[in-house]
Order: sequence, then structure tokens, then C-alpha cells
Amino acid sequence: MVPHAKSGFWRGLAPYLLSSIFLISAYMNIGAVKVAASSLAVIGIPIHFVASLPSMTLAAMQGRLTTTEQLRRQSEFLREQNLILRARLQRFEFLENENNRLRELLQAAPQAVEKVTLAQLVAVNPDLGSLTVLVNKGNADDVYIGQPVIDAGGIVGQVTKSSLFTSKISLITEESQAVPVQVVRSGVRAILYGGGKNRTLRVMYLDRNVDIQPDDVLVSSGLGEIYPPGYPVAVVTAVERNIAESFMNIEARPMSHLGRDREVLLLWPAQLKSSDHGSDAMVEENSE
Amino acid sequence: MIQVESAPRRPWIPFLTLLAALILLVLPMQELPGGFVPDWVSLVLIYWALAFPVRMGVPIAWVTGLIVDIITLGIPGAHAFTKSLIVYITGSLALRIRAFPIWQQSVVVFLLLSLELASLVIISGLTGEAVTGLHRWTAVVVGALLWPLIYHVLRRSRHSSNLRGS
Repeated sequence: MVPHAKSGFWRGLAPYLLSSIFLISAYMNIGAVKVAASSLAVIGIPIHFVASLPSMTLAAMQGRLTTTEQLRRQSEFLREQNLILRARLQRFEFLENENNRLRELLQAAPQAVEKVTLAQLVAVNPDLGSLTVLVNKGNADDVYIGQPVIDAGGIVGQVTKSSLFTSKISLITEESQAVPVQVVRSGVRAILYGGGKNRTLRVMYLDRNVDIQPDDVLVSSGLGEIYPPGYPVAVVTAVERNIAESFMNIEARPMSHLGRDREVLLLWPAQLKSSDHGSDAMVEENSE
Repeated sequence: MIQVESAPRRPWIPFLTLLAALILLVLPMQELPGGFVPDWVSLVLIYWALAFPVRMGVPIAWVTGLIVDIITLGIPGAHAFTKSLIVYITGSLALRIRAFPIWQQSVVVFLLLSLELASLVIISGLTGEAVTGLHRWTAVVVGALLWPLIYHVLRRSRHSSNLRGS
């Protein structure tokens, strides 16, 4: 009953710490180790599956327990919604055609159609408190690092890590994330920074005299080549012009649901579709 | 891995609780703010290291930490490092900690979880991954406050498994 009597620090702990450090440095420096780690992540699939069971059963039960009346009302509501959306889509298609025709007249490249895939959330904040979510699509579904992710409201974030069947999405509210945006009303370009947990998004380094005001909608500007242009990102909530400072303090609220929905959409931007991902696409854009 | 002394009925109970902790770790909890969810895996590892300092020692902590790293797509080795460290400390002081009243054990758990978080922050800083903010410390406090509950739940599971000794 004497714990660690024969195995002290050097035999009981040091080998494990050293092998961890070795693993970490190998992961940072050798590409093959990264690939191996991401394929090893398949061992997490049963664990993720079991963890998703409660919410899945809850969703299934909700389907069983709703009455006919409720279902009828819901389907009525969805039918109306669908009608409205289709009417809008008709207009959108007309505009897209017109836009393409005008672009041809101007001899600019027509905008190709983007591809989207639905992905389901398997975990929220897997690193205890970081602003990331895991989804059930990975390298096997052509997910790539830096892929934009949206939901019904707008841009959610980008893929920052991917394994064979899961990938990690960093939300735009994370401190390390920034989105190039444009104010819809005035066309002003800016960069939107994540503020971290329970903080608002911030627009930084805008001069005092720039035209921006509360309730302005910020859409992605397409600069930075990660997020495609035109997707809603945030709404400005507060603009503070301080005479003593050369830049404004601007706060914004994200428009997307930020992983509170069970599903998100992975987006393959049109420019990246034809070529290989990453650097090739950038070269292609530069040569245009 | 387990040296059987008095024919335990269910020697796999510790591993089952570890698996449950891993599932809790990745459970999608949309309603709860992430900063308040403690590291269940560390808490369970600390309990078993207190109960069986030799059997549930550093090797098991290392492997569990590596699994955590892999299934959360983190840096492989980071959690393995921190969990081996805290389990080694817990195991070395197990006899002393076991004699403490439960609230003092909570203080020890608080210190252990703080040490783990501090080393995780240092590791992620050194490797250039995003170091997330101070809100993660709330998870440490919540973990320490939940310790009495975890202690009692796991002790019941230990008694039902008839595992004894170190």
C-alpha cells in the first residue's frame, strides 16, 4: 500500500511527460504526424455517436409526440414559408441571369454556382470553453482547412481542423478570428474581429469620419479569400465616436445562430471548385 | 493492467466511468455556456488515482489524455502531458489527501485543475494555437465545487464493483 515507492519521479512520470513533449513537437513539425492524428480521430466516432444519442432521441420523440393538429399547423406554416421563399428565389434567379449577362457584356468571369453540404453538430466547445464546434463531415467529404461555414442566419465561422470524418469549426466570435466585411448601406470595407466568449464582435481601425451607424448590416466582402462575398455576418449595435481617439469603437452582433442549431452548411466557394484547394485557387484569382 | 487481489466483481468499472466522462466531454450542450462545463475526465482520473494510486496511475492517465486530444482534434500529447502530471501528483499524495475532509479535497482538486489549465495554456501558447481567454477558469471553480458530488457517485460505483486496496 505504499504508492510510488519503487517508481519515483524519474520512472513514474518523466517518461510520460517526455513522450508527450515528443508527440507535441512531432505534431508541430512533421506533416505526416498531423495526417496520422487526423485519421486516428476515427476512434472518436463511437464516443461522438453515444454523446449525440440524447439529443437525437429527443428530436425523434418530438416527432412522435406532436399531435395531428400541430403537425397540420406546422406544415401549413412551412408551405407558406416555402411559397414566399420560392417567389423570392424566382426574382433571385432572374437577377442572377441578368447579372451574368451583364458580366459577359463586360467580359468579366461569370460567377459560378457554389456547392453546399449539410453537416450535423457532434460536439460544442470540445476544448472546454473555446468557441469551436465539431461537425460530422471531414476530409472524406472534401472538407478543407479554411472552408467557410454558414447557417440560415449568415456566416458561422471557418473550418480550422479536419480529420477523416469530423472537423472543427472556429466561430467568428473567437478571439483569433477576423472576417473582412463591407457595410451594405455605405459600401465601407472593414475587418470584423471576434471578441471572445460573451463579448461582442468589434470593428476596428475605422476613422472617426467613416459612414457607419447602428443597425447597419455587415456582409462579407470577399477579401481575404476565405469567406465568399455577400453573406451576412453581423449587425452593428453600437458606434462610439471619441474625439480623443483616432479610431471608433464599434460593436456588432453576429447574425448567424453560431452553432446553436443542430445543422450548419459547409460551403465550397465557386472559385475553389474547379481547381485544387488552397494556393492554386489564389494563383488563379490573381491571374484573372 | 489490473492486479486482481480479492476477485473484484466488476474490475472494468473505472474504465466505464472514464468512458462516461469522455462522452460527457463531447456531449453537445447547446443551452449551457461552455465555460461552466468542468473537465469531467480529469475529475474522474483524480478520483481513481486517489482510490488506487498504483493501479490507476500515470500510464492510464497518459492514454486517456491522448484519447481526449485525438477525439477533440486538439494537439496530440497536450492533455496526455497535463493529465499524467496531475495524476502523478494525486497518486503521490493519495494517502494524505484521502484523510482530508471533503471540502479540503475540493481545494486540492481546485489546485490540481488549475495546474492542468495553466499547463494547457502554456502548451497551446508555445505551439502557437489560439490561447483562449480567462473564462476557462470558471470551469476549474465549477469542477472543484462539483467534487463532493463526483466523489460520492464514483465511491458508490467503486463499492458496487467490489474493488479494494491500491
